[in-house]
Amino acid sequence: MSDLSLEASLANQRGRQQSRFNLLRFKKITQVGIKSIYSHGLRSLLTVLGIVIGVAAVIAMLAVSEGASFEAQQQFRDLGASNILLKSVKPAEVEETSRQGFGPPQAIVYGLTNADIRTIQDTIPGVNNVIASRIVKKNVWNLGLNMNTDVVGTTIDYPISRNYNLRSGRFFTQTEVRDHANVVVLSDEVASVLFPIDNPLGKTIRIDSDYYNVVGIMESEGFSNLGQNQAGSSNAAPSRIFIPITSSRSRFGETTTRQTAGGMESETVELHEAIIQVEDQETVIQVGEVIEQILERRHRDVDYAIEVPLALLRQAEQSALRDQIVAGAIAGISLLVGGIGIMNIMLASVTERTREIGIRRALGAKKRDIITQFLIEAVILSGVGGLIGVVLGVTIPFFISLFWGMTTIVTPVAPILAFSISALIGVIFGIYPSMRAADMDPVEALRHE
Amino acid sequence: MGGSSGNTVARLQDIRKSYDMGTMSVEVLHGISLDFESGDYITIMGPSGCGKSTLMNILGCLDQPTTGTYFLGDEDTSQMNDDDLSQIRGARLGFIFQSYNLIQQLNVLENIEMPLFYQGYGESESHEIALQLAERVGLADRVDHKPFELSGGQQQRVAIARALSVDPLIILADEPTGNLDSKSGAEILNLFDELHSQGKTLIMVTHSDELAERSSRRIRLHDGLVESDERP
Repeated sequence: MSDLSLEASLANQRGRQQSRFNLLRFKKITQVGIKSIYSHGLRSLLTVLGIVIGVAAVIAMLAVSEGASFEAQQQFRDLGASNILLKSVKPAEVEETSRQGFGPPQAIVYGLTNADIRTIQDTIPGVNNVIASRIVKKNVWNLGLNMNTDVVGTTIDYPISRNYNLRSGRFFTQTEVRDHANVVVLSDEVASVLFPIDNPLGKTIRIDSDYYNVVGIMESEGFSNLGQNQAGSSNAAPSRIFIPITSSRSRFGETTTRQTAGGMESETVELHEAIIQVEDQETVIQVGEVIEQILERRHRDVDYAIEVPLALLRQAEQSALRDQIVAGAIAGISLLVGGIGIMNIMLASVTERTREIGIRRALGAKKRDIITQFLIEAVILSGVGGLIGVVLGVTIPFFISLFWGMTTIVTPVAPILAFSISALIGVIFGIYPSMRAADMDPVEALRHE
Repeated sequence: MGGSSGNTVARLQDIRKSYDMGTMSVEVLHGISLDFESGDYITIMGPSGCGKSTLMNILGCLDQPTTGTYFLGDEDTSQMNDDDLSQIRGARLGFIFQSYNLIQQLNVLENIEMPLFYQGYGESESHEIALQLAERVGLADRVDHKPFELSGGQQQRVAIARALSVDPLIILADEPTGNLDSKSGAEILNLFDELHSQGKTLIMVTHSDELAERSSRRIRLHDGLVESDERP
């Protein structure tokens, strides 16, 4: 071989160096990495467990909290984002004094009054409409069938204000309200109990000694009982019937008496609840504060409850955000532990394969070739872990929904984010072991047993 | 070809190598100057501790001399950085080790291909080269075997094929028959004879007189110096 041909061959080899980092190389290194991971199957699986759990946790927790916040927001939206709800609440102290008394029970007077409502309507700008209701518990009869239910005396705007739709018939009219008419709108539940077979429209039902014409039936859905439960004023909301508020006042009066364990208890309540519709959703929270101040001035006891669905919605959003931060922190810790696991196993792998590193170095591998090799292995490990985690993380919410009936929402961002983080962790925790591998002295490495 | 008619492929000039042993520094090579010619079959012998492994590491560009210059081909390696040393190892040297040093997860063909991979050869090209070399060392029917499925002699033949893959300037061998029984050892020596007759340059460190007898140039080291350098 002459010097000239030597030069040529060297130049040829130099030429090949230009194509160092092509896809083929990458493929080859990846293949070697997969082989080496595969040859320690169980160990590799245990190594990535941390990543698997971390990624699955991120996705599942985000799905659950996303679902919960969606559900809460839906409920508050049902209550109406531009509404303010007022309830009458029996104050705690009054209850105490009435128990101590002798003789026939005195009627407890509490709650919202017509005067309150008038004041609110007259003094606060931006209040569109106030729908006041009286709720009295009564036995409702259709011939022999009866049901104990809430009889809601209200005004004509009630269904609109609560997104509550009619199934059939109509709601009562302004004329009927003015005339104290004996008309009733049944909820679907009540209708199906009192009229199991025939169509209730046009029929009559009896409350106490008065007969009422059934003019409409409400849908069962679309009614949220969340407000009622939080204010604690009423039971299962859907089993309600509706009559004009004027009729309620004139037929039942304002004092109700009921049998309790300790004897008779009577109470006088002018209005049980009121829905205040605010013109502009932007001002609803401020209007709520003003109403609260007015009621504070007008009432000696806190015998009312005020609820601003929009404020609750904001709170729900806040707590959803907090949930997500907590979930993120837990998942982050899990991913960190997973990353440390990967680093640990990569360090072990580097020590175990010292000789291989020496051989590769002797055969022409540069430091960066060795770094690439071990880094790719770390990324494959964490990537596979991330992939398993994504599959698990998408499956778990499905089963949560299936078994616990919770709403879960897997947004496409969550799996992508979690997977990217896991791959990134492979890089971060793979760098140090890879550098250690590359920095080995080839002579020492070849001598290693 | 044989003999000493070739060009100089490697030149050592006053090579000294010392190691830091804590506070004091121990010099292992005390100034070695040697020229190696293309197509030569050289054995380096000497008692343990004479510095022949150190010399071998320097020749193999795995280690660098403390002082002195080492030309491999026309390149001065004594000033090279790690990347350039890796490059020149991969492109111009072939290594054969006493304990074969094959990579256990890879099969015969993949082991032979490895130096080509680091030189950036394409898949089909390196495949072709590796297959030819496997045939040349008599392992054409074992290309998909893993090293642990082969005998020592066969493993060493894989290592020889691997050393030949990039068509290096020099093939360096460190006790290539040290781990082999006499029959396999003889086969390997025959293979070296064959390579020599094809014009390959071979440098071997050995204790074996049998090996030395086949070589065309015998260098003896003693205490970090060249004791004798003869051409029978």
